[in-house]
Amino acid sequence: MRCSPMSGAAVELNGVSKVFGTGDAKVDAVAPLDLMLKAGQTTALVGPSGCGKSTVLRMIAGLEDPTTGTVQIGTETPKALARRGAVSMAFQDPSLLPWRTLHSNIALGLKLARKPSNPDQVNALIDLVGLSGFGDRRPAELSGGMRQRAAIARCLISEPELVLLDEPFGAVDAITRNRLNLELPPLWRDRGTTAVLVTHSVQEAVLLSDRILVLSPRPAAVVADITVDQTTIPVPNTPDFQRVCDDVSDALGAVAA
Amino acid sequence: MTRTRGIHGWLSALAALALWEIVAQIYPNSFVIAGPLDVLRHMAENTGLLSRAVTATLHNAAWGFLWGNLGAIILSCTVILLPRSERTISLLALTVFCLPLVATGPILRVLYGPGNGPQIALAALAVYYTTYLALVVGLRAIPQNWSDLTRIYGRGRMTELFYIRARASLPYLIAGLQIAAPAAILGAMIGEFTGADRGLGVLTLRAMRSLDVDATWALASLAATVSILVYGIIGWIGRRLVAHPASILMTPPPVQGRENWSRSLGKAVALIALVLVLWHSVMDIFDLNRFFAKRPLDIWRYLTTNDEARSTLRTALTETSALTVPGYLAGLGLGAGLAILLTLVPALSATVLPAAIALRSVPIITTAPLIVLALGRGAAGTIIIVAVMIFFPTLIACLQGLRQTPGQIIDMFDSYAAGRLRLMRWARIPAMLPAFFASARMAIPAAFLAVTTTEWLATGKGIGNLMALTATTSNYNMLWSAIVVVTAAATLAYLVVERIERAILRVYASEQVQG
Repeated sequence: MRCSPMSGAAVELNGVSKVFGTGDAKVDAVAPLDLMLKAGQTTALVGPSGCGKSTVLRMIAGLEDPTTGTVQIGTETPKALARRGAVSMAFQDPSLLPWRTLHSNIALGLKLARKPSNPDQVNALIDLVGLSGFGDRRPAELSGGMRQRAAIARCLISEPELVLLDEPFGAVDAITRNRLNLELPPLWRDRGTTAVLVTHSVQEAVLLSDRILVLSPRPAAVVADITVDQTTIPVPNTPDFQRVCDDVSDALGAVAA
Repeated sequence: MTRTRGIHGWLSALAALALWEIVAQIYPNSFVIAGPLDVLRHMAENTGLLSRAVTATLHNAAWGFLWGNLGAIILSCTVILLPRSERTISLLALTVFCLPLVATGPILRVLYGPGNGPQIALAALAVYYTTYLALVVGLRAIPQNWSDLTRIYGRGRMTELFYIRARASLPYLIAGLQIAAPAAILGAMIGEFTGADRGLGVLTLRAMRSLDVDATWALASLAATVSILVYGIIGWIGRRLVAHPASILMTPPPVQGRENWSRSLGKAVALIALVLVLWHSVMDIFDLNRFFAKRPLDIWRYLTTNDEARSTLRTALTETSALTVPGYLAGLGLGAGLAILLTLVPALSATVLPAAIALRSVPIITTAPLIVLALGRGAAGTIIIVAVMIFFPTLIACLQGLRQTPGQIIDMFDSYAAGRLRLMRWARIPAMLPAFFASARMAIPAAFLAVTTTEWLATGKGIGNLMALTATTSNYNMLWSAIVVVTAAATLAYLVVERIERAILRVYASEQVQG
């Protein structure tokens, strides 16, 4: 399947912060953030565990309301974008519904996005993510890598303008992860979809992203903003690739110290 | 493994039958016990009568099962769609569940006349609460990501309920329906006690009054067998529909911080006001006759102006409590104690467990006449009936709870060669607590039901007897006063146990989440 190229939406965060709880239980999760993520680019958020990366992602998704500030996607709010079915998300856990077949799980992405069902489109995407012949299997019959491919397919079937990826390959083994890192990103990159990726893996961030934002420990603030030239960099184990990895690692090391 | 367990089950059942026959042979003409052969003979001689009675009872139980569970499904979906309504709906549902069937039965009889209405209504009342609790747990038990999946597309709770929660809760619904099926038979039988013209309840009442021991044993055995069969059939259908049956612990919802007492008191007052307004409005809307359908103000006036009534009610409640509390505590203690023993000595469970699982599905109250026959009409008989009624559900729940101990914690104890007793004390019993308290809460209405029914049918004392007496003498002021007192006592006891549960589980919560 080759979908019509879509233009992604720019993401703008204006003074966005998040505080959980009140009184003694108050937790400052995210310090006020001002960010502009360009349309069609993939931006990675990296930082120490519990620093608030996922909270930032969830605020962009409209799953959490910011305590202060606003999130704007294109000209819309996250919730308005969601109501149009123009955003989708993949999680660390593939979150496939165990009672549905692989085909039906992917088709659910269309239903939830209020788009007409299109079995041919689903089949084409199943082929594209390398799961040909497994459409009638249930998640329990698939390997971890296959489930994650299916989750990405469900994420892309509605042809969203914004894709949010919360450690989507974090639960699979290293070899599978490397394969998925190489095979799946072109699916959204080639369509010009804007993507925001949360990851713990420096190599993954460098391999997949046009821009890497290194966040400080809680409350999350941007401490390094690294641009990756995807026309020259994304070849693992080359000196250029290693240099960017080192830059990101140094920034991470500095916030951890 | 399953086959071995099955063989053990059959052997246990045969052994129990043999023992039963031997005891009956030792005490012939005792007016207490009839052996399996006498029971079979009675069944063979009265096949037509009994099969008509079983059909009538099952018919009413099935309609009650349908309406009660439909109500439970509507209530639980409402709670999921409108989470703010949960506390109110749960407490109202609990209050209605705590209504003493012994008193609501006669009132429904006056309302419905001689038809099947009361049997069906009581069967529905007996089932809806357990299904409601099970379903709410099931509808909630989805991973956060599944919920996010619908929200990310801007879809609301209705879509989430339709695409995800409804299907995900199916194992819980089936487990709830399985528990509900024998309860529906129990409700229908109590409805039949109130003056129906056919059914197992009618025959039981007749057999007890004429001291027909063979018939009493035959009817109790028949009710038990039918209940076990229905329980088994729903379980079988459930296993065909879902791969993994749910083990329902029915733990309380997470506490949002500590609630202070004044706030709790405010909520309690608001709830009581809501109950009173609903009570009054329903009666006015349906224009129910004031002679038997008393309004809250009628009861208030009756109780505040009538010293004798207050004193009668107080004496009856004291008598009932004196039997309910020891029976309740004994049932819980024995259930939890045997669960612990079976876990410490697993060899015993192969024999005891199949019998316990089978007996859990028996509406014990249908066997109450046998216990009264055996132990007489004194306190011991009633206390034992309450204890037995509570014992089996507690045993099964606690066994499930003991199995919740995380495997890594067991391995850690084993690595220190800590031994079974220490493992039990420090790891397994804390893991059992949510299941124990869930059954402790559910056992409260069951305990009141057991005591009031026994008082009504057999002992002639306490509030159960007072309700039966006032129903026959049409003293509806006293009957409604008794309903209010028993409902309030059961609801209050439930809320007290829930508070203790929350306080204790807060301490052990960290162990629970590791499971």
